[in-house]
Amino acid sequence: MSILYNTDKTLRERVSDCLEDDFKHNAIRTAQEVFYVKRGELVEEMGDGWQQLRLHSMEVRNHVTENLDYYVKQFATNAEANGCVMHYAPTGDDALWEVLDIFEKHGATYAVKSKSMMTEEVGLNEVLENAGIKITETDCAENILQTAESKPSHIVVPALHFNRDAIADIYREKRGYTGSSVPEEITHFLRKILRDEFMEAEVGIRGCNFAVASTGSVTLVTNEGNGRMVDSFPKVQIVFVGIDRIIPDLEALDTMLALLPRSAVGAKMTAYFSLDSGPRGAGEVDGPEEVHIILMDNGRHTLANSEFKDMLRCMRCGACLNICPVYRHITGHGYGSIYPGPMGIVLTAGLAGYDQIDTMAFACSLCGACAEHCPVGIPIHDLIRQHRMNIVEQGKNHAVEVPIFKGLELFWSNKPIYLAAMKAGRPVMKAIARGEDALDENSVWIPVVKGWTSTRDFDVLSETRFRTWFKEHKKEQAKNGKGGEQ
Amino acid sequence: MALGNKTLDDLLGPISEQLGRKDVAVAIKVPEWEFKAQRVTDGLSAAQLVDLFESEAAKIRVQAKRCAKADLAKAIAEIVGAGEPETGEACTVVCADEEAFAEAGLYDALKACDKVTDVHVWDEAVGDANVQKARYATYGVTYAKAGIAESATIVQPTYPKCGRAISLLPLVHIAVVDAATIVPTMLEVMQSYAADEKLPSQVCFISGPSATADIELVRVEGVHGPMYVHYVIVE
Ligand code: SF4
Repeated sequence: MSILYNTDKTLRERVSDCLEDDFKHNAIRTAQEVFYVKRGELVEEMGDGWQQLRLHSMEVRNHVTENLDYYVKQFATNAEANGCVMHYAPTGDDALWEVLDIFEKHGATYAVKSKSMMTEEVGLNEVLENAGIKITETDCAENILQTAESKPSHIVVPALHFNRDAIADIYREKRGYTGSSVPEEITHFLRKILRDEFMEAEVGIRGCNFAVASTGSVTLVTNEGNGRMVDSFPKVQIVFVGIDRIIPDLEALDTMLALLPRSAVGAKMTAYFSLDSGPRGAGEVDGPEEVHIILMDNGRHTLANSEFKDMLRCMRCGACLNICPVYRHITGHGYGSIYPGPMGIVLTAGLAGYDQIDTMAFACSLCGACAEHCPVGIPIHDLIRQHRMNIVEQGKNHAVEVPIFKGLELFWSNKPIYLAAMKAGRPVMKAIARGEDALDENSVWIPVVKGWTSTRDFDVLSETRFRTWFKEHKKEQAKNGKGGEQ
Repeated sequence: MALGNKTLDDLLGPISEQLGRKDVAVAIKVPEWEFKAQRVTDGLSAAQLVDLFESEAAKIRVQAKRCAKADLAKAIAEIVGAGEPETGEACTVVCADEEAFAEAGLYDALKACDKVTDVHVWDEAVGDANVQKARYATYGVTYAKAGIAESATIVQPTYPKCGRAISLLPLVHIAVVDAATIVPTMLEVMQSYAADEKLPSQVCFISGPSATADIELVRVEGVHGPMYVHYVIVE
């Protein structure tokens, strides 16, 4: 299981590492602002239509979850009829095994990959590298991370934690880059070096945003075009599909695509969206000759028919990260999971289990901003609360955290007290933090209390405050004539 | 337990069990959906849809222009005739093999441009050489199946006469779209494909140039795909 990383550190240590990184904070803040503004404008433009779209997506996705076995089977049958080779992976290890088999069968040693969370989830790169296979990440951000041997800090813009100089240095050192730190120049350098790799690679590996049951099609949403390159030139293609990516038909795709780019990056559409149904057809000279679909469960089925079943609707848009005051504060790496932020807490706890997740479920103030912005209406904060209660009930966390947690639960669920604390701001929070201090010196790291308030302003922890701040900020921006295209 | 070589039943078993049943249903009832979203394009006339397509195109940094059917070759030759977009130097072109292009006299018009040194028309018989041509081409010209007004998206399927590389590898992509095929949203496109028996191996929905904001969120165009995109709307 490679969902979690940096596990030799506790949440507290990871958070305090992150708190020291000013660049990371500013980068996250800017990303949140940019995406938030753009998304807001598009949502507003749609009027009531937005809410209707959300409700429709919910009814469609819920229907799939209730009939998940039926739709998995329908997708698999139709994809096979399109000429795809199907591989079934109840676990992540099964998936790895199947991928290794494909490489072995072709004697292939060179692959290009476009960003896929599923492959991160099973730790594919490491396994392939250990097997002597060269695998190149082709999404700009993922390539930066791979070259720098770092981990993603955001699910949509994963290399947010590196500044331009650091990135230029990485390529100078590792790839002989001689240009400046200007993003355009670095990006065009990547265009050049990666183009040869796309053309030479024997295998292309990619993910899938939505899998269409009625047609057996897989889809890919990208902006850079690396997904299209992976999809067009290597002769053999491997597509990772999670069983929670399935939608019933093509019409549902329209609904999902109306929600996804708007929520993810504040755009009506990304530059590219491809709908792929099998290998290249007769008379076509590009596109894969062989398409292998790895249909993977890896714990997802346990969410169906459970108190966390709503999470199966998640389309990994990242909107909940972009609004989350805690994410803003501790940044992606604080969570120690490839799935960070609000969605990450729910998913990681659900897939990796309570024994594995340290105290991540507590990195949330339960403010509910995530749920409000989630395009598929997942009550994310309620699910986080549920995980916490389960953790406490099952006695999974170490003893001193229980009373603290209970105290906090009371605190956060008591609105008048909460609001009063918000108004008073830091002094009160400090007092509360000190109150908790009395329990155990070592336990006050719990995110909502001392660890954060000591080095960062408390007001970013509040959604209410965030909005007030944001409105003012926007006014400022309007005055200065800034904003718009970034 | 052995790894790999799992069957579909191995995958389905635990899902069915979790859902409280032994076997996968043979058929299910798809409910009548309760919600249908209104869209910004509701109630727009065909002419308004074309206007919207054009104005949205400008927002995503696509250069769009209209032309009469008889002027198609001229309209494209005007773009290509400028040569390499940044330097104005000589350029090469790869085109899809479309009847409409041949009828419009496009290929000859392009060859007649001073700055154009090579015009390649996609030809399945020469196989991978098509891709190599596209790889080093300045311009790639395709005929879109449809346009989507809401997002200024063009719908580009793959077929033997139009490979994936044409709209992907050249520095500039010129997509021709017939005004009569511009629909309000993606829904209409999906509905038209739903009626088809077999989907093309790929249908690509393209909205503007290839772009990234991965370095400090600064937008950069021309990552792996075209750096410039033109739409030529034929009326
Ligand atoms: S939980 Fe909702 S908002 Fe968060 S990534 Fe998933 S779909 Fe997007």
